[in-house]
This record gives sequence, structure tokens and C-alpha cells, in this order.
Amino acid sequence: MELLSNAKKYGVRSLLLQGLTFLSVLTSAFMIWKGLSLFTNSESPVVVVLSGSMKPAYDRGDILFLHNGYSPIAVGEVVVYKINDKPIPIVHRVMKVHTENETGKQYLLTKGDNNNADDRGLYNPGQMWIQRDEIIGRVKGFVPYAGMGTIWMNDYPQLKMVLLGTLCVLSLFSND
Amino acid sequence: MYNILQRLGGITSFAMSTLMALIVVISLTTPLLPSNPTHEVTLHSVQTTTGRMVDPFDRTSRSAEYARLTFDVDADLSSMFNWNTKLLFAFITADFVSPGFDTNRVVIWDRIIRSKRQAKLRLRKHHNKYLLRNYAMSFRGVEAANLTLHINPVPYLGIMYDKSMVSIPFSIPRPEKASK
Repeated sequence: MELLSNAKKYGVRSLLLQGLTFLSVLTSAFMIWKGLSLFTNSESPVVVVLSGSMKPAYDRGDILFLHNGYSPIAVGEVVVYKINDKPIPIVHRVMKVHTENETGKQYLLTKGDNNNADDRGLYNPGQMWIQRDEIIGRVKGFVPYAGMGTIWMNDYPQLKMVLLGTLCVLSLFSND
Repeated sequence: MYNILQRLGGITSFAMSTLMALIVVISLTTPLLPSNPTHEVTLHSVQTTTGRMVDPFDRTSRSAEYARLTFDVDADLSSMFNWNTKLLFAFITADFVSPGFDTNRVVIWDRIIRSKRQAKLRLRKHHNKYLLRNYAMSFRGVEAANLTLHINPVPYLGIMYDKSMVSIPFSIPRPEKASK
């Protein structure tokens, strides 16, 4: 009802304009994300730490900025990797690097600073090493606590509903 | 006039942009802060044994060769602590060339240093914390081995600048062949 009365008051044109602005905000955000992704050669250049396995360096809810690039991985670098067939990316430190002469293929072993054992238990069964193409990026920048909202929304899905609901209600009652 | 929501929105956006600017300034200036750490690593001995350690995920671990190092570390890293240093991740790597592999680099010891008081390292006759073995089962044909101390500062906020490689590489003698 309100939509109709609004259309009468402001005209169809201004409504369309509003829709266009909304769309352009959405697409430019998407473009920035994809551009960053292209620049860093990483499928997700910004990640939120989900576990405490890198404590005390990184804790749950910290935001990491990644850069993947094309150069080989060095030992001691903190990397984000995603094992094939496993959905969750993991932030851990590279402890062993073996680089083959001819192919330049790298065999990497990772470990979390806060874990006692290396990551072989997290890899696929029978997998001893991870490869360069399983690495999403190396950690280059770090902002603490900034991703806490994501963690809360993950832990309590109701929060997401409440937030969306308030946003909808606010947009209904706002007059600009 | 402005209502309370608009005022709140204004304050929040101003706070956010100030915070962003601060984050950028802090990130860019932290790597420029000077520090003069001292560090020295001395290697006493290298012993090679066969298959004493058992890694449940590694089927070859029982029959592989392992090197056991004995080393001293003297380092004073307290000058690397500035107002934006959360911790220093200190680690020692062994790197070597083996047939078919031009770089092998393995962390053999690490320590998380969280304060200036912990930053004065004086280790005597320490052994490697992590197993040192080749990708292949044995150390045959392994040469040009080096021992290097790396320091990786982790800031409270900002860029992960790398002040590693601030150390002197040491050559370790080629591990003796395990008795056949």
C-alpha cells in the first residue's frame, strides 16, 4: 500500500532512481571485491579467523588481509589454505617446505602455533603434504576483533534475523 | 532540524573514518620503527638415527633417518618490542639441498616471545623441538646445510612486515650416515 502511495507522491521516476542507486551500490561493492581478488590472485582476499589455533598471534574474530601472488611459499609464513573437498579455510603457519627441482612443485606442511601436532590430521586421509594451489593466500595485514560480528552471526543465526528485521522496519519508517 | 538517528549516524560515520585513517597511519609507520637485535646461534653436534620417532600419519616414519641437533642460542630481541608489537615468533630453520629438491626448509625449533622479559634468549645445549628429516627417507646426497634464526614480529594491528632473515646463517656439517 505504502509503495503505491509513495509512487503517487513522488512519481514512478524517483522510485526507479532509488532502485538504480541501490543496484549501483551493490554492483560496485561486488566489483571492488572481485577486483581485489584479481589483484591479490586470491579467491577471498579478506578472511575472518574462526578458531583459536593460532593463539596468541591471531584469535577468533580477527580480520586478515591476504595476498597470494605467484611466488613460491617460504617457511614461517602464515598462510590460509583450503584442502580440496573440505569447505573450511584454515589459517596456519608453514613449517616445512620441500621444492622440487624440475617442476618447482612445493610440498608444504603446516601447523597452528597453539597446536601441539602438525596438520596431517586435518588433511585428507592419507594426505601428507599440501600443494601450492591449495593455498588461498598469505597473511599480510591484520585488524583485531573487527570480524566479531561475523562470528556472532555464525554462532547465533537468530541474530541475523533480528538484524535483517530491524533494517526492514527502519527502511519502512524512514522518510527519505 | 536533525533528529536523533541522523545525529547518531553522523557521529558513527565520522568515528569510522577517523578509525580507518588511524589504522592506515599505524600500519604504514610501524615497520619504520628502528630496532637493533643481537643474535647468535652455535651448533655443537649433529647426530643421525634411524626410525625412532613414530608419526601416526606417516607410514615411512619408522624407517626414516632423523637428525638431532644440539645448539646454543644467544639473542637479545627486546629492542624489537615497540608499542605495536604483540609478540615475536622466533624460529630456527634448517635448509639444505637434496637430490631432486633445490630447497628444503624445515623449522626445527620455535618460540613465542610475548614480552621484553622473555626476549633475552639464552639457550644452552638445546635439541630440535621438531623432527628433522629429509623428504626422502635418508639424508643421502644432502649438502649445503644451513641453520638460520628468523624473527617474525606480529603487530597488534597492521601490516605483517617481515624482519626475519635478520640473522646469520650457519653451516651445519653433513649428517653422518646412519649405520647400515
